[in-house]
Amino acid sequence: MRRAAVVGLVVVLVLGGLFFLLRPDTPDDGPQDRDFDVSIKDGEMSPEEISVNQGDTVTLRVNADEPTELHVHGYDVEQEVEPGREAEIDLEADLTGRFDIEDHEIEKELGVLQVRPR
Amino acid sequence: MRRLATTAVAFSLVLVYARSAMAHGFGPTYDIPIPLWLYLYGAAAAVVLAFVPLALYSRKTPDADDAYRYPRFDLFGILWLRALLTSRLLLGGLRALSVFLFFVVVISGLVGLQSGFNIAPTFVWITWWVGLSFFTALVGNLWPLVNPLSVLFDWAEVLARRLGLRDNLELGESYPGALGIWPAVGLYLVFVWFENVFSGSYVPRNIAFFALGYSLITLYAMAYFGKETWLRHGEAFSVFFGLLGRFAPTEVRVKTPGICQGCDACEPGRCVNCYACFRHADPDERELNLRPFAVGLRLPQIALPGVAAFVIVVLAGVTFDGLLETPLWLEIVRLTPVDQTLGVMLLPLLFFGIYLGFVELSRIFGGGGEAGFGQFAAAYAFSLVPIAIAYQMAHYYTYLLIQGQMIFSLISDPLGWGWNLFGTAGFDPRYGIVGASFVWYSQVALIVVGHVIAVYLAHSISLRLLRDPGRAFRSQLPMLVLMVLYTITSLWILAQPIVK
Repeated sequence: MRRAAVVGLVVVLVLGGLFFLLRPDTPDDGPQDRDFDVSIKDGEMSPEEISVNQGDTVTLRVNADEPTELHVHGYDVEQEVEPGREAEIDLEADLTGRFDIEDHEIEKELGVLQVRPR
Repeated sequence: MRRLATTAVAFSLVLVYARSAMAHGFGPTYDIPIPLWLYLYGAAAAVVLAFVPLALYSRKTPDADDAYRYPRFDLFGILWLRALLTSRLLLGGLRALSVFLFFVVVISGLVGLQSGFNIAPTFVWITWWVGLSFFTALVGNLWPLVNPLSVLFDWAEVLARRLGLRDNLELGESYPGALGIWPAVGLYLVFVWFENVFSGSYVPRNIAFFALGYSLITLYAMAYFGKETWLRHGEAFSVFFGLLGRFAPTEVRVKTPGICQGCDACEPGRCVNCYACFRHADPDERELNLRPFAVGLRLPQIALPGVAAFVIVVLAGVTFDGLLETPLWLEIVRLTPVDQTLGVMLLPLLFFGIYLGFVELSRIFGGGGEAGFGQFAAAYAFSLVPIAIAYQMAHYYTYLLIQGQMIFSLISDPLGWGWNLFGTAGFDPRYGIVGASFVWYSQVALIVVGHVIAVYLAHSISLRLLRDPGRAFRSQLPMLVLMVLYTITSLWILAQPIVK
């Protein structure tokens, strides 16, 4: 019984200590406004991955070479885009995770929005 | 010739569909790779915790019955619960529902909408494959009760008897015992290929074709070798859920195992987790016990040939699914002639080789022993089952939580024909049920816990086989290395950036 208590204590101390040693300090810069210029050419989106932090206000300014309808999964935002006219997608990044950005016309995945937790 | 041409056209149509569909049977993942520091932390925890079961284990020499001593509580001892759990209405209802769902999947797959709304992919991949495997591991094994193919076979036998055609539908051919469960290993490997490699695994029609093909093989083999024989040796899902069910906190047991004469799944004198015997036993002889998790895996099992291979294929299957999304895999495909199909066959071979090597090392460290190499290899395989379960959960539970919600809208419109049977067709799945940081911590915790249980089981199994605490301790050093290696690999995969 004493052995179990000693082993348990040592494990808790070692693992607890390691956790605080390894865990990085969270950047405490608060939510930010993040703007991205997104272009869609020949069915490819650039940048392909948009990475933001939770709580950020995200604006995507989209230019496309063909008429499409963009759909951001999870946030369920849809936006029609016409060639030659810049379209804007605004969202509050409150859900964390990886969300596909899809071309609704051809059901093709163009890129991802990655929202990292704070 | 003409028929051949028609077949070719049909096949190429399937391929065209296949290419436009999603590459993976499960759809996109919403999980962010775990951060590097958490990966390192998980790996360190795996190493530290690996020694805990060894440090706590009793120094006493175990006796032969030790594995059977664990707390049990017979649910059939509570009268109303017994009445409920053995009622024909509930059991017959579940079996009929299962057959009904099987036909819903096949019909939706064949005639339903092929792209977009269709119940077949979500039901098969998320509700049944992921959902039922979680239920089996965490609650208990329902598959022997609800397996639609076994229910259909029973119904066909009843029908044949009523019509006065035959007493039963079994042809009574004897099953070659040396084959063991190798047919199940082969069929499970085909299933893993279909799930992870075949690019049309999300296409409803392909799911229906696979389900029908598998049903034909199973029904025919059940008639040829006998139903129970095939379910134990060749029906891949019965073998799979049977393994997970040994981890579960419930067991079926027959009190006086006279019924097990000639059953090659029961240890002589004991009948635990043998669904065939349970079925034939007198109702008063049956127990449905609550028990601690995982103790079913350390019982002395009659290991049929192929059981270690089956566990390794399960383990390699879940690992392969994760590996496919890593940059390492892209590099392997670019630099070597290995493609996905070759990979799905090579990875189990690689795992199997490594596993057998460590088993041999463990035997040398433990000073040999009366049991032979084959017996060690089969016995230790059961200790890997919690690792497979933990990885399966870590990898898929967010799919069940998020994509799994689709089933609520799909039951209203299974074929995608615009129906609204239950008024739920417009149900929108809720995202963000679990935040990304919760997913990270829970994934690492699951994998590390599975690892600790595996270490505990392997030690328990070595005590049983070697009957000497000192030798058992030494024999576990190589097994610890093996398990730490595998756990770190699993964590590493979760930490990799996701590529398509």
